[in-house]
Amino acid sequence: MTTPSKKSYTNLRRHIIITLCIAAIIPVIFIGGGVYFEYRKSMTAKIKNQLTSIVMHHKESIERFLHEASAAMRLVVELKSFEEISQQNTLQLIFKTLQIEYNHAFEDIGIIDHKGNHVAYVGTHDLQTRNYSSSIWFKEAMEKQIYISDVFLGYRNIPHFIIAVRQGKGESFWILRATINAYTFGHLVENIRLGRTGEAFIINTDGIYQTRARFGGNVMETVDSNFLNIEHFDDLRLWETEKNEVKLIRAKAWLKNNTWLLIVQQEVDDAFSELFNTRNRAIILFIFGIILVGVVTFLTTELLIKRIEKADKEKELLDEQLIQSQKIASIGEFSAGIAHEINNPLAVINVEAELIQTLFKREDYKKESEFDDIDDSLREIKKQVNRCKEITHKLLNFARKMDSVILEVNMHNLIDEVVAMREREASFMNIAILKEYQAELPLIFSDPSLLRQVILNLINNAIDALAKGGELVIGTRIESVKNGSQKNNSQNDTVVIFIKDSGMGIPEDNLKKIFDPFFTTKPPGKGTGLGLSICHGIIQKLGGSIFAESEVGKGTIFTIKLPIEYK
Amino acid sequence: MVAMVKMRIMLVDDEERFLQTSQKMLIKHGYDAMVASSGEECLVKLEQELVHVIILDVKMPGMGGIETLKQIKQKYPMIEVIMLTGHGTAESAVEGLKSGATDYLTKPANIEDIVAKAEEAFSRHLALEEKIRLVEAIKQAHI
Repeated sequence: MTTPSKKSYTNLRRHIIITLCIAAIIPVIFIGGGVYFEYRKSMTAKIKNQLTSIVMHHKESIERFLHEASAAMRLVVELKSFEEISQQNTLQLIFKTLQIEYNHAFEDIGIIDHKGNHVAYVGTHDLQTRNYSSSIWFKEAMEKQIYISDVFLGYRNIPHFIIAVRQGKGESFWILRATINAYTFGHLVENIRLGRTGEAFIINTDGIYQTRARFGGNVMETVDSNFLNIEHFDDLRLWETEKNEVKLIRAKAWLKNNTWLLIVQQEVDDAFSELFNTRNRAIILFIFGIILVGVVTFLTTELLIKRIEKADKEKELLDEQLIQSQKIASIGEFSAGIAHEINNPLAVINVEAELIQTLFKREDYKKESEFDDIDDSLREIKKQVNRCKEITHKLLNFARKMDSVILEVNMHNLIDEVVAMREREASFMNIAILKEYQAELPLIFSDPSLLRQVILNLINNAIDALAKGGELVIGTRIESVKNGSQKNNSQNDTVVIFIKDSGMGIPEDNLKKIFDPFFTTKPPGKGTGLGLSICHGIIQKLGGSIFAESEVGKGTIFTIKLPIEYK
Repeated sequence: MVAMVKMRIMLVDDEERFLQTSQKMLIKHGYDAMVASSGEECLVKLEQELVHVIILDVKMPGMGGIETLKQIKQKYPMIEVIMLTGHGTAESAVEGLKSGATDYLTKPANIEDIVAKAEEAFSRHLALEEKIRLVEAIKQAHI
């Protein structure tokens, strides 16, 4: 099993980042889009309602004004006779009353007889002698009982419109005529305040401004033919249009028996400014959110990848340890079988050699010239049988299932005991044994007997490596699993024992195999190659780990890590 | 004066050549040695022969050493049995000792070791017999 390459981590990182970003952004887009869509819908409805309400309100105000003014004039003509009303002071009184009631919207007032002659007049203009028989309004007034004209210039050359109320029929009729100042009337319409660009105005069926438009279009000017499609409809129209590349939202309603068109309009950008501002803020928030998601995703992924990498490395280490254990177990089982089978022929060889030795003890054989050689040869056979016996017994010992006896162990005392066994021999070989003990090392729960075997084996190996003398350091320390702190004495901590020699070191190729059974660099007959393998098995059984680091020419260090609690 | 009793040893092992040569050696050492190549053969021979000490291999085909030991001890509790184990460990020996074996030897064992352990066991056997005789004598005296 190999560790995944850097490239595979890069691919994994890219996949995770893309997946997480998509997973985070798509719902945001859907939710944000949905909320914005709903908000836009409600804002549009709100703006349209606002426009509708303004149009309806203005329509009502204007129509009420015209209706009330006409009704007041109608009342006058009903109550007064032609003779009475033709009196200058009577007309003056009526004019004043109308001025007060209608906020000086009335500019003048006059009485016209059936021939079109101005028989009485109150106002600022000199119109007393005028004859209106050819005027359009006079002709219209003859036909209708109440007539309200469009805005026109007339004799006075000032935009105005008139309200004419006819009394009587045939040749005896007369007309009460009042002039309404177009500018004063226009205030009723123009005064609307709708955002920054909102305006309201009235045009007639010929497309002529009846009131001033706030942003272009004076009274009596003609509306751009492309600007309006003048058609009759009931109630109210609301639509979006474009003028000089500016988008407008516009509402219109017919007034005065479908002769005047009231228009209220506003630039779309202005009307929807709140919506657009909200949208812009949402876009900024969205971009900021995406950046944040990106950064968080990146950091999370980095953390995740690091953990995966760490877990992979740990897994690889565990796999290696597992393979090593399996290797040791299978080799152990295999060798135990062989060792057991070899013991029988060895027993036969041994007993045969002994028989020959016994047979040759007879005096006459001793006289033979080759007796000494034969005797020496038989001794050698027995010696080699014993050597084989030692090997097979070690093999069987290696494969043996160990039962551990877990006790509280003071590691320093245990090391001291083992060192004491080899100290004398070491001093003869000019080896200085130094101890680097961690103060306040906690007691551990482990098998002291097995640990003694391991420590002794490692010390023996170190002494063998220091054939020409040198330094052997044996020490302890606490290693925290959580944060690497040396002081934290928690149950997760491990006790580390290290045995360091300043010997010749182990070449890298050999270092990989030192825990393999039968691996030895010692000359034949000096080592079975099982010592470190047994140590490895013991430490593993005790829930710890053992590893070696070495540099040729500088020395070797064996490190054992043991849990404080036996698991 | 009681006449010296000669130790009768039986070697039980499935390795024929080992049996033959070991028997020769034991005879040369002056012992009355018998052999059996299986647990079953051992039990059959015990019905006909008097044996003081048995050297019994643990691992044998058919009836294993431990089973043979149990049957021997059941039928002939006075016979001293020394287990001969191929394992260099104490486990099989411990099992043997628990089942009534006197001692154990590991393979390949020297004839000197076999003889020494067998002598020890025989002394025990004799001492035990002596004790039994003494107890019997005391019983008789009281009657």
